Amino acid sequence: MRIRSLSLTAAAAALCLSLPSVANAQQNFSDMSWDEIVAQAQEEGEVVWYVWYFQPAYREFVQPFTEATGIEVIIPEGTHDGNFEKMLAESGRDEGDIDVIALGGSRHALFDQSEYYHGPLSEILPGGDQLTYELEGVDTNGYGVAFWGNQTGLAYNPRLVDFEDLPQTLPELEAWMAENPQWFGFNYENGGSGPSFVQSMVRNIMPDIDTTDGEVSEERLASLAPVWDWFLDRSDQFVITASNADSLTRVNDGEFAVVAAWEDHLASLQAQGEVGDHIAFYIPEWGHNGGGNLNGIPLNAQHPAAALVFLDWLTSADTQTALNQRFGVAPMHPDADDSAALVPNEMRAYSRVWTAQPFGDEIRNQFIENVALEM
Amino acid sequence: MRASVINRILIVVLIGVCVLWLVIPFAMAILWSIVDPSQAWSYPDLFPAKVSFQRWIDVWQTTALRDALVNSYTLAPSVAITTLLLATPTAYAIGRFEFPGKTAVQVLSLLPLVVPGFVIAVFMASLLLNLGLYNRFASIMLGHCVLFLPYAIRILSVSFALVRQDLIDAARDLGASPWARFHAVYWPALKPGVLAALIIVFIQSIEEFALAFILGSPDFTTVPTILYSFLGFNFVRSNAAVVSLILVVPNVALMLVLERLLKSANPAMVSGKG
Amino acid sequence: MRLRRAGLILLLLLPGLGLILVLIGSVIVMAFGQSVGYFALTGESGFSWEHWREQLDGRLLWRSFQYSAYIATTSSILSVLLAYPIAMWLRRPFRGSLFAGALLKAPLLVPGLVAAFLFINVISFHGFFNELMVWLGIIDRPIRMQNDRNGYGVIFLQVWKNMPFALLLLTGSVQAISDDVLNAARDMGAGSIARFRKVILPLTLPAMQAALVIIFIGAAGDFSFQAVAGPTTVNSMAQLMVRLKGEFGGYHEAGVVAVLLMALALFGSVALAGLTRVAVRAGMKV
Repeated sequence: MRIRSLSLTAAAAALCLSLPSVANAQQNFSDMSWDEIVAQAQEEGEVVWYVWYFQPAYREFVQPFTEATGIEVIIPEGTHDGNFEKMLAESGRDEGDIDVIALGGSRHALFDQSEYYHGPLSEILPGGDQLTYELEGVDTNGYGVAFWGNQTGLAYNPRLVDFEDLPQTLPELEAWMAENPQWFGFNYENGGSGPSFVQSMVRNIMPDIDTTDGEVSEERLASLAPVWDWFLDRSDQFVITASNADSLTRVNDGEFAVVAAWEDHLASLQAQGEVGDHIAFYIPEWGHNGGGNLNGIPLNAQHPAAALVFLDWLTSADTQTALNQRFGVAPMHPDADDSAALVPNEMRAYSRVWTAQPFGDEIRNQFIENVALEM
Repeated sequence: MRASVINRILIVVLIGVCVLWLVIPFAMAILWSIVDPSQAWSYPDLFPAKVSFQRWIDVWQTTALRDALVNSYTLAPSVAITTLLLATPTAYAIGRFEFPGKTAVQVLSLLPLVVPGFVIAVFMASLLLNLGLYNRFASIMLGHCVLFLPYAIRILSVSFALVRQDLIDAARDLGASPWARFHAVYWPALKPGVLAALIIVFIQSIEEFALAFILGSPDFTTVPTILYSFLGFNFVRSNAAVVSLILVVPNVALMLVLERLLKSANPAMVSGKG
Repeated sequence: MRLRRAGLILLLLLPGLGLILVLIGSVIVMAFGQSVGYFALTGESGFSWEHWREQLDGRLLWRSFQYSAYIATTSSILSVLLAYPIAMWLRRPFRGSLFAGALLKAPLLVPGLVAAFLFINVISFHGFFNELMVWLGIIDRPIRMQNDRNGYGVIFLQVWKNMPFALLLLTGSVQAISDDVLNAARDMGAGSIARFRKVILPLTLPAMQAALVIIFIGAAGDFSFQAVAGPTTVNSMAQLMVRLKGEFGGYHEAGVVAVLLMALALFGSVALAGLTRVAVRAGMKV
């Protein structure tokens, strides 16, 4: 497993080196005035946004933009892996299908945005200097703009467990799990909420491991052994679920009292009536990862000006407030209102940065090898 | 007398079992599909607190279901017709000629059925990536044609074998033109097989998941891939219920047509022998 | 003349069989090639056992292999075992036999993903089965049945979907046995079990083998049932392959899994068919 992960890193590096051979002279938006860009955007008339989650909800959410500008927003289906692979595979073509692509923060460590994206957006977008271009410990140098802040934590069913009784520290968690066996579920694939919990346990059980260091080595992996013992000692106390969504569905069903979850995911499923409004969310004091998604405009986008106007709208204070109200996410504009989140602001102090890559992914692989396969 | 009583009891048992494994699951799916979005169906409610057809409207208006339906229902007929055209010459050779290696030909034509679908899907994707081909519709169509050729070849070669040589000879002796010969002698024997092949390939193409999922990723969706996305990463039970029902209903209708066709045709085709 | 005829036949075979051979052939070559380092999409392409070594070293692959072999064997045998008595029952038409046959074959109309979804709804914590048991007072709190560790859910789904198919093959084969043969056996004093063992089983062996082989191969390559209803602690071969490919295009790693999966499908089904034959022969002699 270790070697595979290394070879993946090598493949990533190779991909970064094989630069897109864009033959056409790319339009340079830095020299254009914003009015000129808007005019060109009107002519382009549409923008294709590859966003890998909540596509149905987004199709509704972008309607005000279309009404205001007349620019149609097309949101195709697609997964995070699939969209990313498509963006890389298409980069050699003169014209790609993607105008705007949303990717998770840490994904940006795998390629050099300045070689693939228009930008820097920080200099083109009118309020560009106020926006965020660095998430999950990866700096896109102004080429990827953050529009969505998200937080992992624990979703719980207040009908089964009171907030006061919820575990906040590692010893409390151990005691709670022993008292309430099989009432806690988390996933290790199909979504990051479970892996975030596993990373939290790594941080708490082995405080000496530096999670900002992404290096993978035999010694570092071997030093994780106590973490896996911790899980194995409790293998009859927790349940592994199939995905983020599976965890939330089953906490709604009353099968679990507590599951690992994303705050925005829970809020969105509640808005759709998929999960009851009584299901609540908290970030335990032991800390859970937070991060977000950024948008970029590939160099071979067919509607680059419309893409810029769209990003300007999406990252504006008003839209960010609306995103917070609709999905409960952390706004990415300093002037936006964030009062509609599922957790109080002081709880955000327990937000942590994801473990640096590729060590973070390797923690998950090691969990599969040392815990999941042993169960 | 005794046998008929036993049969009656067995049929009652069978109906009981079928209620358990067909009626209840579908009833649950219908229930889930009409849960009103304003009030989730959660523990410990026995039935949804509020029901409406809002889910159906939402799924239709906001998900890519419409695109998926368009894709599936353009893909399937194209695949069915192309597969039929590709299979006919081979089926003709198998049905009308004796030649050395015929058994080998028949066995080899089953090859797509024995290689696991996901192996074909993943490595066809890799093949196309290596060749630098991007057209998703064409790739899936090619893949489906090859995947379902065995069915079409099998059915049509049986049909061709049923065409009576004495009738062909008689028609020729009577001076019938090739078209008249085809119309009078070949077509009546071929018709049920042709229609059966078309329907079987059509249904298989609508249902096929592996190739559509891998080759269509990320943005070319068919009905099964959209169902998978509602079942997997974006598990939304009510939406999945809606899409499941949409996927099953046309299937049942088509299979009923097929059943009638097969009854009028050679029983060997139904049993898969020959 | 002979040559022209041979040429004609070859030409006729080209669009159908030819296309099959070219495409499936290149897919197999691709899988083999990528598993030993060729056809790299990024980085260097060249012969290497590295991917095989690293996959065979990890336990993930072996767990998947054993799991897929277990699911395929159990599902195919259970489907056929269940289909035999029903095929015998439907051998001679009676009032309602057509209806019974149609009911039994209904699962053939339901796509696998839909079946998996329906099943999950019924057995989930909040599903029909649990609600009923709690309502009847048999249990206090619902039982957790989803994604069970032994893959019983997946096996149930495989049998649900494949038993009708086995039934289709077996009914045709059983019906083809003439009454004369069975009557002759009865006249010679063979009881119903002996008739089944010495006449029906041997005569329906090819249909049974065909059913076993096709169900085995399908279940060995299963992705959808496993992804929706399978245990979360192990991957099926197809699932593992898709995961390796998905995580940054690990086509070489996926190639190793693909080759092993094809080997499982081929040797597993041949072994199963061979063993059945031996068992049936042995049954005739006893």
